[in-house]
Amino acid sequence: MLKIPTRTETIYKFKAKGGKIVAVAPYHYPKALFRAFNILPVEVWGPPKLNTLESKAHIQTYVCSVVHSILAFYLQGNLEVCDFILIPHTCDSLQGLGSIFLDFIKPKQKVLTFYTPRERRRIDISFLSKEIEKLYNQLCEFTGEKPDFEELHRHIDIEEKANKMLKKLLNERQYLDIDDFNFYSILRTKEFLPAEEFIEIANDVYLMYKTDKPISKTPVIVSGLLPEPMEIFTIINEKNGFVAGDDLAITGRRLYPPSEGSNPFVRLAKSIIFSPPEPSRGDSVEARLKNLLEIAKRTNSKGVIFYIVTFCEQEYFYISHLRKGLRENGIKSILIDTDINQELSQQAITRLEVFLETLQ
Amino acid sequence: MNFLKAARYFLMTNFIGKPYLRYERKRGERKIAHLTGENSPLNPPLKITAYTKEFVSSHYFKGRYVEGVKPVAWVTSGAPIEILKALGFFLIYPENHAALCGARKVQMDLIETAEKSGLSNNVCSYVRTDIGSLLSGKTPAGKLPKPDLLVACSNICQTVLHWYRMLQKYLNIPLVIIDTPFVYNEIEPHQVEYVKKQLKNSLLPVAERIAGKTLKEKDLKNVIKLSKDATELWLEILNLCAERPSPLTVFDQFVYMAPIVEMRGDKETVDYYNAMYKEVKSRVNMGKGAIKRERRRLLWDNLPIWFKMRELALKLAERGINIPISTYTYAWGELAPLMNLKKDEFEVMAKVYLSPILNRGAGQKLKAMRNMVDRFKLDGVILHSDRSCKPYSMGQMDERNKLIEEFKIPAMLLEADQNDENAYSEEQVAIRIESFFEMLGVSHG
Repeated sequence: MLKIPTRTETIYKFKAKGGKIVAVAPYHYPKALFRAFNILPVEVWGPPKLNTLESKAHIQTYVCSVVHSILAFYLQGNLEVCDFILIPHTCDSLQGLGSIFLDFIKPKQKVLTFYTPRERRRIDISFLSKEIEKLYNQLCEFTGEKPDFEELHRHIDIEEKANKMLKKLLNERQYLDIDDFNFYSILRTKEFLPAEEFIEIANDVYLMYKTDKPISKTPVIVSGLLPEPMEIFTIINEKNGFVAGDDLAITGRRLYPPSEGSNPFVRLAKSIIFSPPEPSRGDSVEARLKNLLEIAKRTNSKGVIFYIVTFCEQEYFYISHLRKGLRENGIKSILIDTDINQELSQQAITRLEVFLETLQ
Repeated sequence: MNFLKAARYFLMTNFIGKPYLRYERKRGERKIAHLTGENSPLNPPLKITAYTKEFVSSHYFKGRYVEGVKPVAWVTSGAPIEILKALGFFLIYPENHAALCGARKVQMDLIETAEKSGLSNNVCSYVRTDIGSLLSGKTPAGKLPKPDLLVACSNICQTVLHWYRMLQKYLNIPLVIIDTPFVYNEIEPHQVEYVKKQLKNSLLPVAERIAGKTLKEKDLKNVIKLSKDATELWLEILNLCAERPSPLTVFDQFVYMAPIVEMRGDKETVDYYNAMYKEVKSRVNMGKGAIKRERRRLLWDNLPIWFKMRELALKLAERGINIPISTYTYAWGELAPLMNLKKDEFEVMAKVYLSPILNRGAGQKLKAMRNMVDRFKLDGVILHSDRSCKPYSMGQMDERNKLIEEFKIPAMLLEADQNDENAYSEEQVAIRIESFFEMLGVSHG
């Protein structure tokens, strides 16, 4: 088994070399831009199983556990090591979190925000490239650095290689003889590793676990923000299934396509704008369904697990339509509500087990 | 235009709807003086209440016959409607319709229908109400006209994007999204440019195609002027509530605000608010308040609890508490100064529609609350923590703390929901309000 570096190790190693750290909330942002300033983005998706007592003094209980955890994690002093905090505008709750940070908590770190358009028109690319340029100018001001276009392109190219590698691993998942927990633990290093290190690890994984024959287990798809609690993988694997494809914000929804052009801001914008359809981009029911059906077809999956963080309104919105559309195409589905800070309930485990049995 | 339908529209609205609603209004006006008895803590409502009913009902009545006569658009409450109005669109606001269902207490049946269809109770209760109405065909408005166009503007929440995508799926008609980036600090030029381009390049061509005509600058200017006039009047009316005793309660305002949301841009709306201004002003001159004995004055933050308006109004008034203003009702007036008629219309609309309170940071809202506390001479704040409206509710806990600690003003968080009675605990609300009364020094004991 490969040794996977932890977030903490990575952060201190990067800082020791003179780099800076930006803590990033979910989930679209121009990673390469930060790297061009020698800033390493480290994504904060929780962490799971956290006591979020502190966040409850600022946020109501009907806000999702991901947002609670990010704030609690900060309030417990765990982001002290970071030089910046970036809150992308992913949903109403993260919008609110950004505002709470800027207006009330006022951390010692600079808090940056980033707006991703909800459409995929030419004007959206134009706006997003200006939004990225604004971020560039802010970073120039805060760091005193001014990386040129060549440097920006260089980092975009590296990030695109890492994205390509992620895509390769996901696309060839059924030929990789590794359990889901370890597979996703490796994929999730992309949330904090420098792209060049992720590429190396992903390559090693590919070489180490690649087989000629597809895995002879039942393929399923997982959809949602993140696979937390990660017990889901154990249950799937124990029931002779495996995650053959995903529509997860941490991975499949961020398979950014490669970009071209002379302006790095436009390149970054296009890459985000043309990422797969998903809730935070306000995509239509049809686009979401088409995407799920394509993943199912490619992976030969006959089941989709909607693994939804409770209170995440945008994830819940289309569920009934998506399930109906899947059903009409012979694909079964199940909805499991989760809280990243709690164990999976026995009831949810039983439902998952029964669901997996029906797929066999 | 279908001439048979046009003739029916003309006959029904002018010869059936209009006289009937006028008759009802006159009847209502006669009744108003006797609506609250001697023992009621409330003074009789304004005569304009009957006019409001006539005005709003007339809109929905027209809606029953408008299909095939005028192009119809369903829009979000923060949508840039001036372009649509100038092109002759008839507008329906699903949010207002959901609020109407809540106020008439028919929403739970609709919510149940939506939930049975698979819509999660984690989704906004306005959406569940409205989708339930769409699926069941039930509405207190009689019948809603089928739209030719959907317009969703993200300046109030991200929920509307998904909501309108779902409507698009059900109705199979064009949807235009006007994406308004959230303003954490100041509005930036690239944000204005983005919204302006969407108005010009996305909304306008689709709206013109559906309307079958080209937008005339003078029509647009005229609609913007009417919007501005009505908005200014609404603001002036609300500012009269700074008087002691306040001529209105927030519960009155929640009802009277319907036309500023639904019918701004119409001349009749300006006439309506002119009439309201006169009546409110005369109340102020007489020194007559909305409640009989105004001992304390509060600020309301967030949407109303539509299905509990009457009960709350009475409960508060019994203790001599009035709520003369809210961030929500004020939001529909405070943008009036931004409507500069001398500047490029699209630029003006872009700025206006980027600026609603829900598209600004929580700090900005706190600042607005602070100003209202001073201007309206308020003694406390009720922050309705609305489970359905996260963009309005997030930040409230810090806002409450700041109000208490820095501004030294009592503030209470009231957990409820705008439309979903399942998220409302009668007992818990009673306890919270009672302890708040104690803080305000108006408890029974």
